[in-house]
Amino acid sequence: MITIQGLRKSFRRTAALRGVDLEVPEGRVTAFLGPNGSGKTTTIKCAMNLVERDAGVVEVLGVDARRLAPGHWRRIGYVSENQQLPDWLTVPQLLDYVRPLYGRFWDRDFERKLLGEFELPMKTRLKSLSRGQRMKAALLSSLAYRPQLVVLDEPFSGLDALVRDEFLTGLLELTETEGWTVWISSHDIEEVERFADRVAVLNAGRVDLEEDVEALQARFREVEVVFDGEVPEDAGGLGLNARTAGRTLRFVDPKYEENRSLPALRERFPTALRFDQRAMSLREIFVALARGYRLTERRKEVAT
Amino acid sequence: MLPFSFQLRDGEPVSDQIVRAAHRALASGELREGDLFPSVRALAQSLKISPTTAFKVVQELKDLGFLVSRPGVGMVVKAPQLPPLERRLEMLEPAARRFLEEARALHLTTAEVELLLRRITEPKDS
Repeated sequence: MITIQGLRKSFRRTAALRGVDLEVPEGRVTAFLGPNGSGKTTTIKCAMNLVERDAGVVEVLGVDARRLAPGHWRRIGYVSENQQLPDWLTVPQLLDYVRPLYGRFWDRDFERKLLGEFELPMKTRLKSLSRGQRMKAALLSSLAYRPQLVVLDEPFSGLDALVRDEFLTGLLELTETEGWTVWISSHDIEEVERFADRVAVLNAGRVDLEEDVEALQARFREVEVVFDGEVPEDAGGLGLNARTAGRTLRFVDPKYEENRSLPALRERFPTALRFDQRAMSLREIFVALARGYRLTERRKEVAT
Repeated sequence: MLPFSFQLRDGEPVSDQIVRAAHRALASGELREGDLFPSVRALAQSLKISPTTAFKVVQELKDLGFLVSRPGVGMVVKAPQLPPLERRLEMLEPAARRFLEEARALHLTTAEVELLLRRITEPKDS
């Protein structure tokens, strides 16, 4: 649904995006992760044609993002953290205002259903709504025409768990739409951990990692080796985030293979007492990766 | 709401967990043949998982003979034929390993562990 290649964007002299490659495939939920300031919003804005890019390819629904026309926009639902809403309107007024833009594609029954689920106040102006209510109002106005591609920029930041749940439930109402696709950015892996099919991690203006969650979880393992005596000194260089505690060596193996990894370790440390491995949650994988990045950055700094 | 109790845990594919929970629910009587099973959408919504995962779960349960689609009604639970013995043992193995590890930590012998198992499965009337 979205293809981004070599996307570059600088603001004055600061390079925000330094060659972003990213794919948002149809029918999947792609989580777009990265620390604040890594360029997620800029990337999304380039794809939504809200920011002019300096270089690269950005295709959305098969066309250059710069050529997105009303016919495309009725297939896209875009909600962003800092969305400007017409603050002087109430929720029903907002819907009355947006509805005609989508003509026959607007689903009145679906609008009513979401309105009921979201429990939004009907007589309060948007500017007086809480952050969660505003986000739900924005989502409602972007879902009621049943878009095929939903783009969410940090939708959960500042929302409490209850509102986040309501937001997701509303979003998932669209589940049965053919080829329904979601691209959702977040700086917090926990927010999207179970919801994502794929993750793309942006770091300092580049995508460092883009992979299916299942594949990622299949290849990452926390490995533990317990030695009879002290952990041998030559045990370094094993995987990510290696650390020793007493007689135990722990590290993260980013290329774990059922039939290869533990036997290889047994061969290397024939006197060790115990070898163990366990699957990791997405959050744990990210912590391990983030530590890895920091090390590489430091090494780079030392090298220059 | 799911028609059976279920808590997602970290670190294991969501679909495996749900499939196992559904099996347990059928064994315990929490789910019975003929019960309505949630749609892909309802499953995704109640667990806040991606529709792809929810779809996979339903597909897997269908392949296992655990669910049948009944037009106009939805998905209905069916008591599946038991998988072959080997497969069932395989399914129990992770739990068995954890159990034995606990036993080893307590320095219990296999015979002593067997004693415990028997005490639980065949309680003596007294």
